[in-house]
Amino acid sequence: MFEFLLHVAIMACLYGMLALSLNLQVGFAGLINFGQIILFGAGTYGAALAFANGFGPVAGLALGVAFSTAIAVAFAQLGRNLGADYWGIATLAVAEVLRILITNEVDLTGGAQGIAGIPLIFGDWPRPVGPLMTLGLCLVILLAAWWFCRRLTESRFGLALKLIREEPMLALSLGYDLNAARTATLVVAGAMAALSGFVFAHYVTFVGPDQLVAAETFLIWAMVIIGGSGNHLGAIVGAILMQFLFAFVPFVKDAFGAPAEYVAAMRLTLVGGGLLVFLMWRTQGLIPERIGDARPAPATGRPAAARMVEKHNG
Amino acid sequence: MIQFVIDVVIRSVDLALIAIGLSSVYSLIRFPNVTLVQYATTGALVALGLQMLGLPLIVAGLLACVFVGAVAVVLNVLIFERLLTAGSAIAMIGSLALSMVFSAVFLVTAGPRPQRFELDLNPPIRFLGARFTDHQLISVVISALAIAAFALILFRTDLGRCMRATATNPVLARGTGINTRRVTNVVVFLSGIMAALGGIGISVKGEMSAHLGMEMLLPIFAAAILGGLGNALGAALGAVVIAVAETLVTNVNFGPLVGESFLFVPAAYATAASFLLLVIVLLVRPHGLFVSEVKRV
Repeated sequence: MFEFLLHVAIMACLYGMLALSLNLQVGFAGLINFGQIILFGAGTYGAALAFANGFGPVAGLALGVAFSTAIAVAFAQLGRNLGADYWGIATLAVAEVLRILITNEVDLTGGAQGIAGIPLIFGDWPRPVGPLMTLGLCLVILLAAWWFCRRLTESRFGLALKLIREEPMLALSLGYDLNAARTATLVVAGAMAALSGFVFAHYVTFVGPDQLVAAETFLIWAMVIIGGSGNHLGAIVGAILMQFLFAFVPFVKDAFGAPAEYVAAMRLTLVGGGLLVFLMWRTQGLIPERIGDARPAPATGRPAAARMVEKHNG
Repeated sequence: MIQFVIDVVIRSVDLALIAIGLSSVYSLIRFPNVTLVQYATTGALVALGLQMLGLPLIVAGLLACVFVGAVAVVLNVLIFERLLTAGSAIAMIGSLALSMVFSAVFLVTAGPRPQRFELDLNPPIRFLGARFTDHQLISVVISALAIAAFALILFRTDLGRCMRATATNPVLARGTGINTRRVTNVVVFLSGIMAALGGIGISVKGEMSAHLGMEMLLPIFAAAILGGLGNALGAALGAVVIAVAETLVTNVNFGPLVGESFLFVPAAYATAASFLLLVIVLLVRPHGLFVSEVKRV
């Protein structure tokens, strides 16, 4: 039981990273990304391909971030002249095309069998200590990512993102480069997702296309919306909550003696139903976005109109 | 060649039915309703259930269509009207969430295994060297009739005029005394019927499973977006384009292009082809290949 809880905690940290990354896109930049899981996949396959070709983990991480950056830039280019809903569908399509490619290019990626045997991070340590140290590492990474996200969104760049989200035309007229800001957001968020994927690959030691199905993206969405989009702590809380709920579904199934497909059905209901309930009755999530308390000291060169608009929206 | 045309026609009418439903609802309430693909699956599964109870397939299919139409209206009133007050992006995410709940219901009620309609087996019909079954023929004719009927409603009746008026300018439409909420719900009802019909059509020619809807999601959206979301008949053309792309990719021998005698693309790339087409079109023509708004009233 202890090792199981340890596993759930590690997964919660990794999903916390993914939720922080999606929250940066959805909650702050207003980017409806339905292809989030492929940014995670960039990290997992970066680690796996580096391992399969005899390179070390540093090269794996670099490769993963390179993949995620390429995908993020491609997403941003798609978003140049698309409405939000079109863009969401386009990102979903790109993620699915890449997943189909990975599944079918057997020579390169191992196809549906994936790539197994990726070394553990703390593989030399005995059983309970190794996973404990992995959890410690994941916690450190998650906290670092949280700190980084807070610094980023409290900066003038973060305020510009919120302005672009709320009033894109006004932001444009004040001289903000919408495309550059969105590209930067996607690249940063993509690197975070890739880091999560890299650690995941070195934790479960197996990487495959089944880990990249669209349902995973919607799970991350549920974490962000339920936790509270536009709030970093909310995204993390949502991730921990959903991971632990997911982990206990099989026990509920056993308690009622239900057939195996009920696990999948209950998880789908948790994600879909949870999303729907929060969208309809508590759109702001468990921990709502806080507006106005994170403002930096008045910047000298900052357009006064932009500040006024934010005050107005607050 | 004839076989190719027939394959394309069979695939495109079913895609077109659902894509037209998606597009016409979008034209009225301005958000792409993902749940429509689950309505299609619901139609197929309900028709299967009724057939198992002993009803002939035609009757079972009709009842299933009406049932799904009613479900679509109820969900629109209960859920989407509320979600839409928060914005179209929220409504779209909500429709995705609702789709997942549908998937869960399918898993519990119908089980995870693929199922088929009970159809009597007849030898395939031969026509100019091409082969197809009588069930395929009947299903294509019914679907084509449904599309024609929808076009007639849209362009020849008072209801259609109200629909187009609401799509073009809802405020003005309300001002002239059109009950836009009722018009919207009528269109939602029709879209549910067409989605169910499309779902039954796809299942008659193959299998149905709890995952049918999510597998259809991107081809349907590709068709609707290619045609310009909101343009009902554009969606039908978009469906043809998608069907051609899917059929071409899997049936054409690319061997001569690379200097080998045989090179066929794996069947799994058929879906990838339509998604890729979608992405390319969105890059070049962000509002679809055809005019994106209903222009005439």
